[in-house]
Amino acid sequence: MAKEAALTPRGHLHPITSLVREARGIFSKLGFSLAEGPLLESEWYNFDALNVPKDHPARDMQDTFFIQDAPGYVLRTHTSPVQIRYMEEQMKKDIPPPYRIIVPGRAFRNEATDMTHEAEFFQLEGLAVGEDVTLAHLKGTLEQFFKELFKGAEVEVRFRPSFFPFVEPGVEVDMRLVGSDVPEKLKNKWIEMMGAGMVHPQVLKNAGVDPEKYQGFAFGMGLDRLAMLRWGIDDVRLMHSGDLRFINQF
Amino acid sequence: MLVSRLWLNKFFDTELPPADKLAEALTFHAFEIDGIEKAGDDDILDVKVTPNRGHDCLSHRGIAKELSAILKLPLAHDPLGQRPDLSQATHDVKVLVDDEALCPRYIAGVIKGIKVGPSPQWLKTRLEAVGQRSINNVVDATNFVMLNLGQPLHAFDAKELMSRDQVHVISVRRARPGERLQALDQKEYVLTDSMLAIVDANADAPIGVAGVKGGLPAGVTEATVDIIIESANFNGPSVRKTAQGLKLRTDASARFEQGLHPSLAGYGMRAATDMILELAGGELRGFVDVYPAPQQETKVSIPVDQINTVLGTQLTEAEVANVFKRLGLMFDFVSRTGTYEVQIPFERLDLTIAEDLVEEVGRIVGYDQVPAAALPHVDKESEVAANFAAAEAAREELAVKGYSEVYTSVFAGTGQRQVLNKVGGGKSYLRANLIDGLTEALERNLPNKDLLGLKEVKLFEIGTIWKDDKEEIAVATISEKEGFKEWTLEPKDNVLPTNLPLSGAVRYRTFSRYPYIVRDIAMWTPAGTDEQEVLETIKKEAGELVHKMWLFDRFEKEGKVSLAFRLIFQSFERTLTEVEANEAMEKVTSKFKSLGFEIR
Repeated sequence: MAKEAALTPRGHLHPITSLVREARGIFSKLGFSLAEGPLLESEWYNFDALNVPKDHPARDMQDTFFIQDAPGYVLRTHTSPVQIRYMEEQMKKDIPPPYRIIVPGRAFRNEATDMTHEAEFFQLEGLAVGEDVTLAHLKGTLEQFFKELFKGAEVEVRFRPSFFPFVEPGVEVDMRLVGSDVPEKLKNKWIEMMGAGMVHPQVLKNAGVDPEKYQGFAFGMGLDRLAMLRWGIDDVRLMHSGDLRFINQF
Repeated sequence: MLVSRLWLNKFFDTELPPADKLAEALTFHAFEIDGIEKAGDDDILDVKVTPNRGHDCLSHRGIAKELSAILKLPLAHDPLGQRPDLSQATHDVKVLVDDEALCPRYIAGVIKGIKVGPSPQWLKTRLEAVGQRSINNVVDATNFVMLNLGQPLHAFDAKELMSRDQVHVISVRRARPGERLQALDQKEYVLTDSMLAIVDANADAPIGVAGVKGGLPAGVTEATVDIIIESANFNGPSVRKTAQGLKLRTDASARFEQGLHPSLAGYGMRAATDMILELAGGELRGFVDVYPAPQQETKVSIPVDQINTVLGTQLTEAEVANVFKRLGLMFDFVSRTGTYEVQIPFERLDLTIAEDLVEEVGRIVGYDQVPAAALPHVDKESEVAANFAAAEAAREELAVKGYSEVYTSVFAGTGQRQVLNKVGGGKSYLRANLIDGLTEALERNLPNKDLLGLKEVKLFEIGTIWKDDKEEIAVATISEKEGFKEWTLEPKDNVLPTNLPLSGAVRYRTFSRYPYIVRDIAMWTPAGTDEQEVLETIKKEAGELVHKMWLFDRFEKEGKVSLAFRLIFQSFERTLTEVEANEAMEKVTSKFKSLGFEIR
């Protein structure tokens, strides 16, 4: 009776998946590999190795999830521990820099949730280390990334001074989209995108890389926020809602 | 920190630019600005001082110094310019410091015969502009100096301390477990032995919690005549833990916890003393300064080359020298090596390595001076982690089978690992499987099946679980017909499937949170009827309450075509009633009848 569809319609993929795919595609052309790491992470990789000392406020109970019967472990508060893990692993294999990686994945902050804050969120970490990687390369790389992601738009990137213990200098990165194809909400507006900077020499040292010889940049951007900007999503909680009224739009 | 523009202007001989210009200067060269507010003829900037600059910039002087460097305006009156004179000694008070690691410096200053009273209007105005309450001339003076220089201070009423042979003894020691202090906020605090107490040693009674709060009994009141001023240096982490332990974060603790230089205590003491003498009169008896291990000055070397190879700039020696001058840094240039030897001012505890100076140069010249450069090409294949490749392969396989991907929370009501400190409690375990989350997601989605136009809800998730002491990546599927399956993702190689599709979505559309109503209509149409036209007609007749509609069935019999449409009624503003849906359908039905269609 009914004209039953012979083929099963394709399922929908989560927007974060699509965004990670797209980011990987763009960064792979720039020579970046994709690395991953565990979510339950040692305090060494999550804090100490990243130059966040024991008495730093960021290590206070209220920000970090600690686990029963697992002293010294936390739910990673950022994707940055993979910087250390990756460099360490390469050095163990006797592979010196250049290193270029992106790290997509979940991270956690112990805070109440609302329309723009989630206790679990997705990040995209970037790391480029070599003999001559500069802050200018960071600017160029991010410009290239945003240009390809927001196709057809003119992209401007600017830095403002900021502070993160694992970079020096540390910057806040703003982006502005100009052009006729840009959604009205984003057009000609400076938007805060991520924290970044030049990898702190102590961080390189902690990973076994000689800071006298090598230097590099690192960045960490929120993928939820990027997805929200990209598609005009109004509530970050949709990301973990499992709601197909949301997912099936992608 | 709240910063007053008029207050800042006191450091300069020239008129500062308007508040928005100051905000812009700070934003692009120093700190984010959380807001600007008018307060009479003053403007108050809320400056978000970064944690590395708490040593010097939680003060009007620190912010003025930044503005001086950024705006190229010389600082005409720098209160940290001249070494403070603390040479007048007194025997009125003795200071015993038990633990110099927790209290590297303690200065006590004694003034006798003061007259406590209201502060002059200018001082009240200054304090109130930045959200402080005026209390009396003595307390206000100590607060003013803290907000001006960043050094917290405290004044005790000397008569409230026990005197032995006409000498007061202040001891700085760890509190005894259970020791109690009635603080200035009228609350009683119970101390532990990890906290540092300021103690009236003759009475063996705590009169303050070091770096956090003073005690009520020795507080300065209208009746106070003799005071002991405290300007000390306390260990940052220790103050922070104490403030946390007591749930008492104060302006003082917020500064100490950043780590202050002991030299600042000297400047703070002298400034507070002078101000109190001026406002409240009295006689300065002198100071006691316990500073067993004075900190040495530091130097940092930075080759000009290094600045340029880190920033990717081409700054000249002269341009770099200019930045150092603007920041008030003393330096020597070693031309043989092209290196600057920079002397670090005591309050700049953040400047310890060459990279710190690279940042100073970068931010002061402005990061807009950093060009955008493409990374050089590297001869390395771009790789992906094996788990990622396996996940992408699994995703594709499942998407093709009609499964849609969800991410559910890693937090669950049950599991094998529990989170110790989840805000708000609830779901405090790390999930040991995906299927519980997926089952919930399935149930939540089932009522929306018609709305979504799905024949069956099919979901999958790829995500981390914690099971049998291991963290692993699992894959799980669930569907109404086939039930659920869950397995461990097995990484094979680092090879990604090719041609992975991306989402074609342009903009996300908010969906209504209100329930929807489904109605179907089926009709016989003459051969050659345009389905699109029928759809348009339905849309027009059914009106705005139709959220969406589609053709869900079509067959032909004896030259006639049966078309069946599904209509979803839904509003963004309210729950629709059955009556409303029926009325709309009535209009549709009668319209098609009038057109000569046979409604089935």
